[in-house]
Amino acid sequence: MKFILTILLVFFSLLTYSQDFTISGSVTDATNGEDLFGAVIKVKELGNTGTNSNSYGFYSLTLPQGDYTLIYRSTGFETQEKKIHLFSDTIIDVELNIPKDVQQIGEVIVSAEKENDNITSSGMNVTRFDPKSIETIPVLFGEKDIMKTLQLTPGVKTAGEGNSGFFVRGGGADQNLILLDEAPVYNASHLLGFFSVFNSDAIKDVALYKSGIPAEYGGRASSVVDVKMREGNNKKFGASGGLGLISSRLTIEAPIVKDKGSFIISGRRSYADLFLKLQKDEALKDTKLFFYDLNVKANYKITKKDRIFLSGYFGRDKFELSDKFGFSWGNATGTLRWNHIINDKLFSNTTVIRSTFDYEFSVGSGDEAFGIRSSIKDWNIKQDFTYYRNKNNTIKFGINAIHHTFKPGSLTGSNESFNEIILHTRYALELGAYIQNEMKIGTRFNIMYGLRYSGFNYMGRGTDYQFDENGNEIGKQYYSSWESIKYYQGLEPRLSASYILTEKNSIKISYGRNFQYLHQLSNATSSSPTDNWVPSSKNVKPQIADQIAAGYYHNFKDNMYRLSTEIYYKHLSNQIDYRNGAALILNDQVEGELVFGKGRAYGLEVLIEKNKGKFTGWISYTLSRSLRTFDEINNGKEFSARQDRIHDIAIVLMYRVSKSIALSGTWIYYTGDAVTFPSGKYELNGTYIPYYTERNGYRMPDYHRMDLGFTWYMKERKKFEHNLNISIYNVYARENAFSITFEEDENDPTKTVAVQTTLFKLIPSITYNFKLK
Amino acid sequence: MKYFIQLIAISALLFSCQKVIDVDLNSTNPKTVIEANYTAEDSTVRVKITLTSNYFDNNPSPVIDGATVIVTDATGTPQTLNPLGNGEYELSSYVPVFNSTYTLTTTISGTTYTAKSTLPSPTPLKPINYEYVSGFFGNNGGYVCYLNYNDPVDTTNFFIAVLSENGGERGQVNEITLTDDRLTDGNSISRPLFGPNNLFQLGDTIEIELRAIDENIFNYYVELQSIAGGNGGQSAAPANPESNWDNDALGYFNAYSNSRESVIIL
Repeated sequence: MKFILTILLVFFSLLTYSQDFTISGSVTDATNGEDLFGAVIKVKELGNTGTNSNSYGFYSLTLPQGDYTLIYRSTGFETQEKKIHLFSDTIIDVELNIPKDVQQIGEVIVSAEKENDNITSSGMNVTRFDPKSIETIPVLFGEKDIMKTLQLTPGVKTAGEGNSGFFVRGGGADQNLILLDEAPVYNASHLLGFFSVFNSDAIKDVALYKSGIPAEYGGRASSVVDVKMREGNNKKFGASGGLGLISSRLTIEAPIVKDKGSFIISGRRSYADLFLKLQKDEALKDTKLFFYDLNVKANYKITKKDRIFLSGYFGRDKFELSDKFGFSWGNATGTLRWNHIINDKLFSNTTVIRSTFDYEFSVGSGDEAFGIRSSIKDWNIKQDFTYYRNKNNTIKFGINAIHHTFKPGSLTGSNESFNEIILHTRYALELGAYIQNEMKIGTRFNIMYGLRYSGFNYMGRGTDYQFDENGNEIGKQYYSSWESIKYYQGLEPRLSASYILTEKNSIKISYGRNFQYLHQLSNATSSSPTDNWVPSSKNVKPQIADQIAAGYYHNFKDNMYRLSTEIYYKHLSNQIDYRNGAALILNDQVEGELVFGKGRAYGLEVLIEKNKGKFTGWISYTLSRSLRTFDEINNGKEFSARQDRIHDIAIVLMYRVSKSIALSGTWIYYTGDAVTFPSGKYELNGTYIPYYTERNGYRMPDYHRMDLGFTWYMKERKKFEHNLNISIYNVYARENAFSITFEEDENDPTKTVAVQTTLFKLIPSITYNFKLK
Repeated sequence: MKYFIQLIAISALLFSCQKVIDVDLNSTNPKTVIEANYTAEDSTVRVKITLTSNYFDNNPSPVIDGATVIVTDATGTPQTLNPLGNGEYELSSYVPVFNSTYTLTTTISGTTYTAKSTLPSPTPLKPINYEYVSGFFGNNGGYVCYLNYNDPVDTTNFFIAVLSENGGERGQVNEITLTDDRLTDGNSISRPLFGPNNLFQLGDTIEIELRAIDENIFNYYVELQSIAGGNGGQSAAPANPESNWDNDALGYFNAYSNSRESVIIL
């Protein structure tokens, strides 16, 4: 407690008295009224002094009485300057315009004149994308996918083809907190991982934090992906959409009351199965294979100081083979938010979130039928405050409580061979409280320091099992409703600091500790919707990640090019692996199948970006290792995690040839995954069985691939614009290994061979996009 | 046009292709592999001792002759198996005692390996029934056979079901069906035996053998199936199955009882 008091004192000892006044307001996009998140507000006369708009476009800046020139700037918009004579608290709402010359030349990304915010910001570099800026990047089946684009940046590694999971700085795929309008998304993939659940049309902004994670985020060990949905046009009606090979999209947006409120509805559905309906084959006709998602959002300004937002996501995948077999899964999230400006320095955001994920198997019909169901459901309440103390200090603090309900599985049906099995529903309460200050010291030094308290109460109603060292049950105890079975808590310090060497150079360092109380169980090479989430319990301890990172940032050629170099070291405690032959589904004693160990990851990341002009893009290189140690695995010796790829390169180039034509290309290379191959074989029952000696002691072949894209912006009308996008995936048809299996030769069972499976060789696709203005 | 639609609809997700590749694998010191079965049906203990070889070595597995193999029953009475050559050892007319534990001891040049297995009593099969299913995804239709039995109440039971078609036994690791009563204790079981080649035509004679095994062997086979026949690539962490042999030997000792049923599809 003494410690916490000290921290609070540090925060509030910064309070000083002076004749200061506050400028506050909002920054919005002039064309559609959307809030601009992260717009930079600088004071020309005061060099380093300035602030950023928050995710609701709100900003607040406190300055001494005087005359100032305020500069408002955001990527892709024309910079605005406002001269003010500050003698009282002032509200300035600013609408930024898209530059005319951009509309004419049609450059993809335009940066304002002085883009060195990457140098001067306090936090470690955040990877941010606006879906519009990457729309020409070629993608598989032409489905724009923000998550796939994130995987082209340093430190983010794809889990492979057919897998939307990703690894950040050597952490596991379940260590990424994926938020959609603040609601955690438990399974971010469609079609068994070929696509992510994020429909680019409905998305405004994606930010990835991989180190120096702000204290307002908690719950996962390695990273935060914060996805924000668009609010919808509050000026006029708009519609946009696209027709693709796999799916089609349609988005409608309009004001509810002009300049006061708006809504957006964006839907997407795949239609491979509609083609199947045309088939003569009866079984094929009844086959269903599709996904859909629906994003809806509405917001309304009740008063000048109050605004409410309601947003929701509903997505589902369905796979059915007539009445023989069915498999479906989906996420649903709902977020209700109330923004309240308490005064020009204090901004409040109150949020209630519902977040669910479930999957369902069904087999057979009638008397034969049985089904398996599983789900995770959350109620989540958050209260966040931002206190714009003065021009040098911005304090954020808040609290959060999440009630989790896990239904790990149930088996029901009319098939009398099976007993009805309903695994115990498990409950947990996850708590968080944080305080953080972003502080400027002088003109060169920025520091962000914060502390998060997290607690996790695993509680009844339920049965808790105890296991011996071999995973056999040795006892159990029953707990009644809300009775605590196990309480974990921890303090998570977060710190990042930057020092501006010159206008063009800066160095930054960060340290962060993150607790993770939920764990996803998965022991197959590819991710599956059936990978259950489980809470921390007596047997399963929370995962803890400690990471230190340092970076050097340099802009050259008038900020045309940006170079960032970061190094990191991460230590992971209480990592989870599995006993041989672990049964993870429908197992009430699944915890007995788990083993626990530790991990470490370290690496160097280099990124060179060009954000201006006709020719844009980036080159990303990562040199890294990710290692694990478990007493029960590999005789206790340290081994490579699957994602221990040593080299990882991505090159992304976009060239705007003319107003009507854009070309793009990407090239990816990475060291093959660490993998377990047999070192020998033996015969049993007349079959050859592979003999394994060490965990992940081998490597998959190196992966590389080039994709090309071509976008033709067809003649624009006053109210209508449209384009045609052609992309080619894997242009030189590299046969990348999806898996390598060891088996008997089909033609000669006395011989054994290694067989490589390749998923995608050259795949062309075409997408038509339109927009009504 | 029809083919084009089919191409998009189905192969969109099945663009995959396969080929045999060269992989540079380490060589390892040979390890002892002991495959031992005690079949109550013919009262015979059969043992085969081999060594591991390098994965791409295409010679038959090396065999070990000259080992001493002794089976001991629950009362502690030992009996020695007769060497047959080619790494094989056998003891016939060894009368089974159900629900008792047998110990097998193998001594190879001074190193002794021991394994224990409990022989469950047999669970009788009920007559097989069959049902016609239409084909899908371009496969021909055919008959599916159902495995039928009453699961013994209140005991934990583990089974291997082996199917034979017109006398040809499908007893390989990937062809057998493993089943326990974790989800089905005490029920009347009727279970279709699905599999790539498990659709039958008129006139076929189908036999099903239901082997009752102990829990260790069941777990061993579950792990074995997850790595055999190319399945190892599906698991993120393929590993050697946990053997009931001590001293790091590979293989297993399985004492099992069985029952059989057969049917001609008419």
